Amino acid sequence: MAEKNATLLGRVWQSISAFFKEKIWQGFCVNILYKKFDRYKGWIYLAPAIVLLLIFTVWPIFNTVRMAFLEGYTTMKDVRGDTFSFGLGNFTRVLEYKGFLTALKNTMLLTVLTVPISTFLALLIAVCLNSIKWFSRALQTIFFLPYVTNSIAIGMVFAAMFNMIIGGGARPDFIGVVNIVIEALGGEYINWMNEGAEYWAMITVMVVYIVWNALPFKILILLGGLQSVNKQYYEAAKVDATPRWRVFTRITIPLLSPMLAYVIITGFIGGFKEYSSIVGVFGESMRAPGDPTYTLDTMVGFIYRAISNQEGTASAAALILFVIILVVTMINLYVSKKKTHY
Amino acid sequence: MSEVTKNVSETSAATLQTMRERDMQKVSAKQKIVKICVQTALYLFLGVMALIVLFPFYWMLVSSVKTMPEYIRPIPTLIPHTWDFHNYVEVFQNEDLLLGQLFANTLFVGVVSTLLSLIITVLSAFAFARLEFKGKNLLFAALLATMMIPGELFTITNYQTVNSFGWLNTFTVLIVPFLVSVFYIYLLKQNFQQVPNELYLAAKVDGTTDLKYLWKVMIPLALPTLISITILKMMGSWNSYMWPRLVANDEAHRLITNGLRTAFTSAEGVTDVPLQMAAIAVVSAPLFLVFVFLRKYIMKGVSRSGIKG
Amino acid sequence: MKRILSTLLLVAILTVGVCGSLTSCGGGGTGGGGGAAADFEMPAGGFDTNTPITITFYHSMGAGLRDILDDAIADFKKLYPNITVEHQSFGDYDGVRDQIKTEVAVGNQPNIAYCYPDHVALYNEAGAVQTLDILMNDATYGFTAEQKADFVAGWLAEGAAFGDGKMYSLPLSKSTEVLYYNKTYFEENDLDVPTTWDEMEAVCRAIKAKEGDKCIPLGYDSESNWFITMCEQLGSPYTSATGENFVFDNAENYAFVKRFRSWYQDKLVTTKTLNSNAYTSNLFTGTATTGTRSYMCIGSTGGTVYQQPEQVNGVYEFEVGVAQIPQINPNAPKVISQGPSVCVFKKNNPQEVLASWLFVKFLTTDINFQASVSMNNGYTPVIKSAIENEHYQEWLATAGTSNVQALGVQMALAQAESYYASPAFIGSSVARDQVGLLLSACFASKASDAEIDAFIKSTFANAVSECKYQSGQ
Repeated sequence: MAEKNATLLGRVWQSISAFFKEKIWQGFCVNILYKKFDRYKGWIYLAPAIVLLLIFTVWPIFNTVRMAFLEGYTTMKDVRGDTFSFGLGNFTRVLEYKGFLTALKNTMLLTVLTVPISTFLALLIAVCLNSIKWFSRALQTIFFLPYVTNSIAIGMVFAAMFNMIIGGGARPDFIGVVNIVIEALGGEYINWMNEGAEYWAMITVMVVYIVWNALPFKILILLGGLQSVNKQYYEAAKVDATPRWRVFTRITIPLLSPMLAYVIITGFIGGFKEYSSIVGVFGESMRAPGDPTYTLDTMVGFIYRAISNQEGTASAAALILFVIILVVTMINLYVSKKKTHY
Repeated sequence: MSEVTKNVSETSAATLQTMRERDMQKVSAKQKIVKICVQTALYLFLGVMALIVLFPFYWMLVSSVKTMPEYIRPIPTLIPHTWDFHNYVEVFQNEDLLLGQLFANTLFVGVVSTLLSLIITVLSAFAFARLEFKGKNLLFAALLATMMIPGELFTITNYQTVNSFGWLNTFTVLIVPFLVSVFYIYLLKQNFQQVPNELYLAAKVDGTTDLKYLWKVMIPLALPTLISITILKMMGSWNSYMWPRLVANDEAHRLITNGLRTAFTSAEGVTDVPLQMAAIAVVSAPLFLVFVFLRKYIMKGVSRSGIKG
Repeated sequence: MKRILSTLLLVAILTVGVCGSLTSCGGGGTGGGGGAAADFEMPAGGFDTNTPITITFYHSMGAGLRDILDDAIADFKKLYPNITVEHQSFGDYDGVRDQIKTEVAVGNQPNIAYCYPDHVALYNEAGAVQTLDILMNDATYGFTAEQKADFVAGWLAEGAAFGDGKMYSLPLSKSTEVLYYNKTYFEENDLDVPTTWDEMEAVCRAIKAKEGDKCIPLGYDSESNWFITMCEQLGSPYTSATGENFVFDNAENYAFVKRFRSWYQDKLVTTKTLNSNAYTSNLFTGTATTGTRSYMCIGSTGGTVYQQPEQVNGVYEFEVGVAQIPQINPNAPKVISQGPSVCVFKKNNPQEVLASWLFVKFLTTDINFQASVSMNNGYTPVIKSAIENEHYQEWLATAGTSNVQALGVQMALAQAESYYASPAFIGSSVARDQVGLLLSACFASKASDAEIDAFIKSTFANAVSECKYQSGQ
C-alpha cells in the first residue's frame, strides 16, 4: 500500500527504514527517527483536550489561586466593587480554625481505610467473576447495578440499616438490620450512628458505605482489565499445574497492575475529596446527634461550608488540600512506577 | 476467598498423597471434586456479595410501592404492608414531569457528550501512551494535578465563562464543559500502555497511519475499557444535577434528574419520596437496558483480544 | 505524507470546531459583573403598558403550590397583558439561594425570589436587592392606605429589619410554632394544657409517672427555634444585626439550657435531632407503632398535616388539640414568625423593576392567591381580607382532627400580636444552626452534675467561635 501511494518523501522514508531495519536494531532507530519527525504530533492529538481543559479547568484553578491570596475575598463583595489586599490571611484562618485538624484526621483515616479494603474486595470479586462458568452474566449485571440506583435511595438505605430509635426505655425501640444480625449471632447491639455513638462505630459505618459505593466502579475497571489479559498465560500455568494462589499472585496481579495502579491512585484522590457520602448518612451537620462539634468533618466538608459566603477561605483550604493530595499522589506514582508491569 | 482456595489446594495435596497407588482416572476424579468445591465457594462468596450489593436496589423498588404514611415510619418496613402501584401511574400522568421531553433531552446530551468525550479521550490517551514528545510527562502530571482540587470551587468561574460565551440555556453548555475527563484519559492510557510497543513500531514500518493503527489495533484491544468509559459517562449525564440546574434549567433543556427533584416536592418542601422512587425506577429502566446491552460487548471484547501478543 | 495530513486534518477539525464555537458565541455574551445595577428611579412616564416585558420568579414551591401560582399569574396577566411572568422551582430555599448567588456574580439574577432574611443579607453584600420604599409608597403604583392596613402589622415590618430601616422584602405567607396535644388523653386524665414552662414541667412529670418507660411526654421538633424563642421570652441576648453579632453566650441562656437538659435526661422531652432525626410527630401520632409515645408536640404550622393520627375504621385514634406554646410570661407571649418572603432584585431597566413590583404587590394583596396557598399547605395568609374571606372562613370552620391544617391556622391567627422575628445579617442562619446544635449537644452530654456547668460554658463558647468563623469574621 505504501508503494502505491509513494510520494518522494514516502520513498525516501522507505529506503531509510529498510536500511535501518537491516543494519541496526529496529525499534531503537525508528524511535529516534520518529522523535524528529513527529515532535509536535503528541500536542496535536492532545489539542482538543488541552483547549477545553484550559477554559474549564485551568482558568477556574487560576481564579481559585487568586481568591485564596486575596484577604477576606467574597464574590458578593467583589461584585459590589470592594478591593482586597494581597496576603496569606485566608491560609492562616484555615490553619488556625479549631476544626481543621479534625477534618484532616477524618479525611486521612477514611482514605487509608477505604482504598485498600475496596480495592481488595473489588479485585476478589472481579477475579471470581472471571473464573466462573454459570451465571457469570447475571452476576456481572448485579455487581454493576448500583450504578443505576440513585444516591438518594442509597443514603437512606444505609441510614435505615444502621439506625436505631432510642425511645424512652432502656432498650431501643427499634434496631436496624445490622444490629438484628449482630444479635442473632449472639453479640450485643451497637449504637452506630445515634446519640452517644462512639467515634469508631461512626467511622465503621462510613467505611462500609464508602466501600459499597466504590465497589461497582472498581469491579468494572478490574474486570475490564482481566478480560483484556491474554488467556495464553493462564493456559501455560494450567500445563505447569501451577496452584491457583500462585497464578493469582504471579500472573493475575502483575498483568492487572496498570489497572490496579489506576484504581488505587484515583481511589486516593477520590478519598481525599470525600464529602457527600458522609452528608448522605449523617446529614449536613456531619456528626452523630448530640455531638458538640463536626465529629465527622472532612476537608471538602470544611471547604463546602465556606463556599457559600467566604470564597477566599474556601479557596485557601482547597489549595492546602491540593498540596496534600499532590504529595500522596507523587508517592503513589513513584511506587506504582516501580511495581507496575506493562 | 484466598483462604478458601488455599485450604482447598492444601487438602487436595494431602489426599493426593494417600492416593499415590491408585490409577490416573481416580486422580482426575479427585481433581474434579476439588474443582467443584472451589466453584461452590466462588458462588457462595459472589452470592453473599451480590445480596449486599442488591439490597439498596431492592429498597428503591420497595419504597416506590409504599404509601407516604408507611414510608415515613421511623421503623422502615422491609416488605410493604400495602402494595401501592399508583405511584407508577402518577409518574406518567404528572404534568410537571414531561417525561418524554426529559428523556429526549437527557438522551441527546448523554449520547453526544459520550461520543465526543470518547474521541477526545482516545486521542489524548494515545498521545500519552504511544507518542514521544517534549513535555509529555510534565503535561500528564499537570493533568493529574487538575483532578486534585475539589470541583465545587470551579462552579462560579465556569458559570461566568459560559455566560460570557452566551451559552446559558443551550445544549452546548450541558455538553462541552465536561467533555474532557482526566479520569478517563488516565484509565485508557493505562490500558493502551499494555499493548506491546513492538506492535506499534511494526505497524509504523508497514506504513500504517497512526489513526489507522489506533482504529484497527488499539481500539479493539481496549474495547472493554472503552465500554466502561461509555457506561460511566452515560451514567454521569444521567445523574448530573448541580451544573445543569445552574446553567440550563428551562423546560427545553431540562435534564431528567432536575425534573425529578422538582416535580415531587410538596408545598412544605417535603418530598414525596415513594413517588420519586417510582420515577427513578422508571427512568432507570432504559439505562438498565443500555447497560445490559453494553455488558455483552465487554464480553465480546474478550474474544477479540487474541490479536494481542 | 498522507498519514501526517490526515492526522492533522482530523485534529484540526476537532480543535477548530471547539475554538470556532467558542469565538462565534463569544460575541453573544452580556459581559459579566453587572450585579450592582443602578438604584431604582420611577420612570418619568410611569409604567409602559405597551412594550412586552418578561420577568422571572425563583421559588421552591411544590407541585400543588405551582398550580396555584399559575392561576395567579393568569389573573395577573389580565391586569397587565404585556407582562409575562416566568417561574422556576429550585427545590428548597438553599437551592434558590445558591442559584441566585451565582447569578448575581454575573448580573444575571432573576427579578423576584423567595427569600429568608439572611439570604437578603447575602445578596445585599453585592448590593443586588431593590429596596421597596419608593415603590411601596408611590401614589400610583404603591400600596393604597387600605392595602397597607390590610397586612398583619408585625409581618410587614419584618421586611425592614436589616438595620437601616429600609424595606427589602414582603411577606408572602407565614407559619409559626404551636403546641399540639392529645386532646383525648388530656381529657381522660384531667390534665390542663400547659401555658407556662413550669406548668409544662409539671404536666410532663405527671404523664411520665403514669406512663413510665415507653413514654416521652413532649417532643420539640426544632432545637434552634426552642433556643431562640427562649431567648426572646426571657429577654436575654441572642443575636444582633449591628455591632457584636453573636451575643447568645450568657448566664441566662446557660440556665435554661441546663434546666431543659435535666428534662431530657429524665426522658420528659426529646427533639428532632435526638429522635434519630425523625420529626417528633412520629411519636405523637403513634406511627412509631410499638415504640415510645408522646402526648404533646411542638412543631411548625407548616407541618400540621403530619400531626394527624391514623384512622382505624374511619375513626381517628385520638383527637388533636392545638394551643399556644408555653411561655415565661403568659401575659406577654412570644412566638416565632417564619415563612417565605419575596424580594425584588435591581435591574438596569426600571420598567422591569416596576413590573416585578406590580407582580409582588399582586401576590401579597390578592385574596384568592393568599387564601388558596393557605388552604393548600397550612400557612397563614398575610392579609386580613384573605383571612376574613367567606370561603376561607368556611374552610377554617371545619377545623378539627380531620382538618388539622385549619386548626393550626386558627391558632396562628389567634396569636397575631405575639410574633417576633430575630435580626437578619450575614451569619444569622449560621447562628440559628449553631444554637440548635449546641442545645442538642448539652442535652445529650453525659457530663456529671459537677462537670455540666463547665461543659455548657465551653459548648457555648465553641458555638460562638464557630459562628464567627463561618460568617467570615
